[in-house]
Amino acid sequence: MERLSSNSTRSSRPIILGLAGVLFFLLVWQLIPALGILNPAYFPNATDTLAQLAKDLGTGALWKDIGYTLIAWGLGLAMATIGAIIFGTVIGLVPFLRRATHTTIEFLRPIPSVALIPVAILVYGLRLEAALLIIVYASFWQVFVQVLYGVADVDSVARDTARSFGLSRSQRFRSLVFPTALPYLITGVRLAAAVALILTITAQMFIGVPGIGRSIIFAQQGANWVQVYALIVVTGILGLLVNIGFRAIERRVLHWHESVRGEELL
Amino acid sequence: MKKALAAAFTAAAVATLAACTSTPEPTTSAPPNTSPTDTAAPQETFDVRVAALPIAETGALWAAIDEGIFEKHGINIEIVPAQGGAQAIPALLSGDIQFAIGQPFGPFRADAQDLGVVIIGDYADSLATGKDVNAVVALNSSGIDGAADLAGKNVSVNSLGAAGDVTIMKAVEDAGGDPKSVKFVEVAFPEVAAQLDAGNIDAGWAPDPFMSMVAGGEGHIVVHPYQATIPGLSVLTNITLQDTIDNNPQLVAQYSAAMKEALEWASANEDAVRAALVTNLEIPEEAAAGITLPTFTFDLSVENLQTLAGLAVGYGVLEAEPNFDRMIQQQ
Repeated sequence: MERLSSNSTRSSRPIILGLAGVLFFLLVWQLIPALGILNPAYFPNATDTLAQLAKDLGTGALWKDIGYTLIAWGLGLAMATIGAIIFGTVIGLVPFLRRATHTTIEFLRPIPSVALIPVAILVYGLRLEAALLIIVYASFWQVFVQVLYGVADVDSVARDTARSFGLSRSQRFRSLVFPTALPYLITGVRLAAAVALILTITAQMFIGVPGIGRSIIFAQQGANWVQVYALIVVTGILGLLVNIGFRAIERRVLHWHESVRGEELL
Repeated sequence: MKKALAAAFTAAAVATLAACTSTPEPTTSAPPNTSPTDTAAPQETFDVRVAALPIAETGALWAAIDEGIFEKHGINIEIVPAQGGAQAIPALLSGDIQFAIGQPFGPFRADAQDLGVVIIGDYADSLATGKDVNAVVALNSSGIDGAADLAGKNVSVNSLGAAGDVTIMKAVEDAGGDPKSVKFVEVAFPEVAAQLDAGNIDAGWAPDPFMSMVAGGEGHIVVHPYQATIPGLSVLTNITLQDTIDNNPQLVAQYSAAMKEALEWASANEDAVRAALVTNLEIPEEAAAGITLPTFTFDLSVENLQTLAGLAVGYGVLEAEPNFDRMIQQQ
């Protein structure tokens, strides 16, 4: 009985800590304009911003923006992940290809996706496809590099064992390469999900496709700062939900893996 | 699972391919819907995408669309908000949009690169007298009272190497200051007031509502650079491609007729323009009522643009004057 209660306090502790962190953050935010550290005319306090957010949540416009943002994010992340799995697996498993592409990959990977916005517009115009190019480019590398190292990380003893047991190529892939690469892949996708969300908002801001990013620019042009920060809070909450979601998937898919056992949620 | 993955990949590949192949050639942009409208109008109906900045001036367009002026001319118009000419011209070249409303410096620079970008008409002019549509503003405590005081100071413009810094340099020179000593930095219009307050800039160039926010608060208007140097200078123009003019003259003619009527209507119906700002840009009603609106007109003053280009060459902002004969084709 005693053990049970100590267990439940332990599991609720991270949630309490998480809430305390949020409250502390809101308090600091409230104080920054109140103490005049930033001019309240340009940096609204937390209560005004959250009140505006509550008002927005009652209108269809914000939900539409959230919908547009999630669609662009989801499409971009899916395309990046599928592409990265295919290219990562093929290149990662063939040492020749890995050596041949290494320099090119290290050249392309650090190029900031935002720098490609003019190219994206030149190719696709002011459309969702242009935004997707930016999103996919940024998030692809996150998954690709993880898959690349994941498929190459097979334990040599396990590989020799599999070989001596006469496992076929497809058997080896299924029971050796796939389980080895899976934790890498999941980590890559979780990182890519956050990157894709950031680039979705950025693309909406600078390409003008509908969504939260475009509404932020509109609110800025209307000098409506409370609205600007309300929308920024929405992007933060989306990011948090995305992260929680992917951590939950990670725990479920990799419940057997040592990296997951003993990890806490928030 | 494998099947689903394969299906998903095929879908993605098809989508990518379709997107690639559908990248329109400039010559095939805006396929006309050849069926005539029911209202027995002699014209064709065109689906048109127009890039416009999400700023107060675009209020005229939103209001005119609601008024049905473009529809009447067979133009089924969609406004695409673009962030400045840097985005609008690549979008024109991609064929995704057929027209753009932008500052004349975009075509100036495009002409230098032979991109075939053409100004087909005016959109909005600054005001020759009174409170102009934009101004250099500074805080009252800055000690900057006139254009000459800007010499040696940090002054912001929304984008370097365009009409803002060129006319400000000219205004400083005319007032007896050294135009080359002004240190220009890029600050987006909405940020000007906050950057002034923070002391990061000494003065900043901004249109309404930001100009009036500073001037109505702890700051004042230093100079209206357009009015002081080229009164009535065009703020925004209608831009398209030479290809569109050559291959789709009917579209350009109908669009121009619609735009001309829209701008005439807008200048006579300022209340409707302000109302459109409240709904489209979510500018609070009081702020929208105080915004200085430009002169909306389709008739371009070529001399003003030539003066601007001449100044830009003089200050080294442009390497050479654009070829006005091919760049400006008033419709």
